[in-house]
Amino acid sequence: MSESATHDVVAVKQNEDYCSSCSICSSLCPYEALKKDTETGKIVLDIAKCQVCGLCYSNCPAKVIDILYYDLDSLIKYLERAKQEYASDTLVIMCRGSAPDITGVEKLFGISKFIPLLVPCVGRIPDEIYFNALLMGIKKINILACDEDYCRYERGSSVTGRKIIALNLLLDQLGYGQEAITLKRHSLKVQVDANLCIACGNCVFYCPYDAAKLESPGGINFDLAACRGCGLCVAMCPAIALELENWEKERISLVINQLSSEMKPPKILVFRCQWAVFPSLNGEPSPNVCFIDLPCAARVDKFHILEALQKGIDGVLIAACSEDDCKQERASGKAQHSIAALSERLGQIGLQDRLHFCTVSPRYPEELDNELAQFSQK
Amino acid sequence: MIVTTQKPLDEVLDFISPYTSILIAGCDGCTQPPRGLREAKTLSQLLELAGKLRHKDFNFKATTVAKQCDNYLAASILKPQINDAEAALSLACGIGVQTLAEVFPELPVFPAQNTHFMGAEEREAGALEERCAGCGDCLLALTGGICPVARCSKGLLSGACGGSKEGKCELSPDRDCAWCLIYEQLKKQDKLHLLKESRPPRDYQLSGWRITT
Repeated sequence: MSESATHDVVAVKQNEDYCSSCSICSSLCPYEALKKDTETGKIVLDIAKCQVCGLCYSNCPAKVIDILYYDLDSLIKYLERAKQEYASDTLVIMCRGSAPDITGVEKLFGISKFIPLLVPCVGRIPDEIYFNALLMGIKKINILACDEDYCRYERGSSVTGRKIIALNLLLDQLGYGQEAITLKRHSLKVQVDANLCIACGNCVFYCPYDAAKLESPGGINFDLAACRGCGLCVAMCPAIALELENWEKERISLVINQLSSEMKPPKILVFRCQWAVFPSLNGEPSPNVCFIDLPCAARVDKFHILEALQKGIDGVLIAACSEDDCKQERASGKAQHSIAALSERLGQIGLQDRLHFCTVSPRYPEELDNELAQFSQK
Repeated sequence: MIVTTQKPLDEVLDFISPYTSILIAGCDGCTQPPRGLREAKTLSQLLELAGKLRHKDFNFKATTVAKQCDNYLAASILKPQINDAEAALSLACGIGVQTLAEVFPELPVFPAQNTHFMGAEEREAGALEERCAGCGDCLLALTGGICPVARCSKGLLSGACGGSKEGKCELSPDRDCAWCLIYEQLKKQDKLHLLKESRPPRDYQLSGWRITT
């Protein structure tokens, strides 16, 4: 309670005047942030527990919940703009956790041009968006969700699955066909280069999901059904033998290269966990600050931090979830430890102020701005 | 595994400052944490950054050897890569550094690590502890698999010294008393009679300095 009192702006609000205490939100909330008060019978929001998944927002029948990110208005505005920009009538709504790159998405759905809408969890999309999109002249809506047991918000993917079945039935009656909305599931997982593996067993120790198995003889094997793509093993592999789909080392290096040449000093690069900070739909134009979104702070590679500094970036900020908020089994704590070790090494050559690790949460949107302001001053 | 820690970077910079072209050789062998390709690359990046601050452009080549202490492996992997290197920086333990020095007698080879002991990692605690002193006369069969040579501060071979206090050593109170551990272990195995067996003094000749195979 005292934690929320120190924050002026919070991401989720509940308008109690209209709430009919139907309990749909509290039954959906994966974090018990919305609960029925046993004495008053009213639904109470505990923002300190909220992870801003948006399931309550998209499913409240009385529209009682106000949410700061990806609300109906901003989604519609984005769609109107994006429809012009991408000149397509196919919409793909993707969860950030499972979306491959453009060609990967095109391949998955067998399409060639599309309007992308990236959100943290497709479960937060309200029904009205689908109707609005169809009214706008969008012909086909594709949804890319995570595999159900891979969903970082536990229920987002499965709730969306059920919702789409119901919506398709409805849309069929209205004459939009049986499959106006297509849902596919996909998850991004670790890949091993067996030629590079030195069978040291580091990944076995670090994997929060027991997905890595080292056998002798036999070498390393990943149980991909268990892997949830946090990228901790990739960042910790001493032999650089692992990759995480969509966050390959080379791909990130290219982005760093490009960003560092485009930015103006003082250049600050932020590696942000995509569950700790939700990117704005309007882009984030700033000549001094650039962002690289990662599946978890655990994927932050020492290599990339140093590469950024080498390329002339003045400061690197890591924006992670706190260990308690981490959607990847407290992997952010391991990341913090490894960043601290690198900070110490940087200190030995006089660059200790250039790297900073901070924990933020989307529930308090001003946190990152404050951290950034402090860091820029340094 | 061989336990090493990273040398402070300013010490390493002192070693390499007279040179420009430097080979950094990692080792995938028994060091913990493994000082392989990633460590070699990270070190090259850090030293490059440090060089820039000191207006010096280093030219690093980062590579790794499966086992740097094997002179055949080290030679066959590194010879083709050594080209115009003026010096080498080794991420291996002291044995690996010496092997490189032997294989490339003309090349100055510097250690990037301090080598501590043969030990094991308690990963949850994030600590590495000595486990074997390489005495050449293994008595683990008599001590429940716990080595008093390496783990008793005084290296006693026939029981606790009397300074053991609540399972901890009197010399360093945060350290477990090896003989307490041995006693508990043997008790669990119902083998306390082993403690009563008299044993001859340790044969120091066995530790030796050279063994012919």
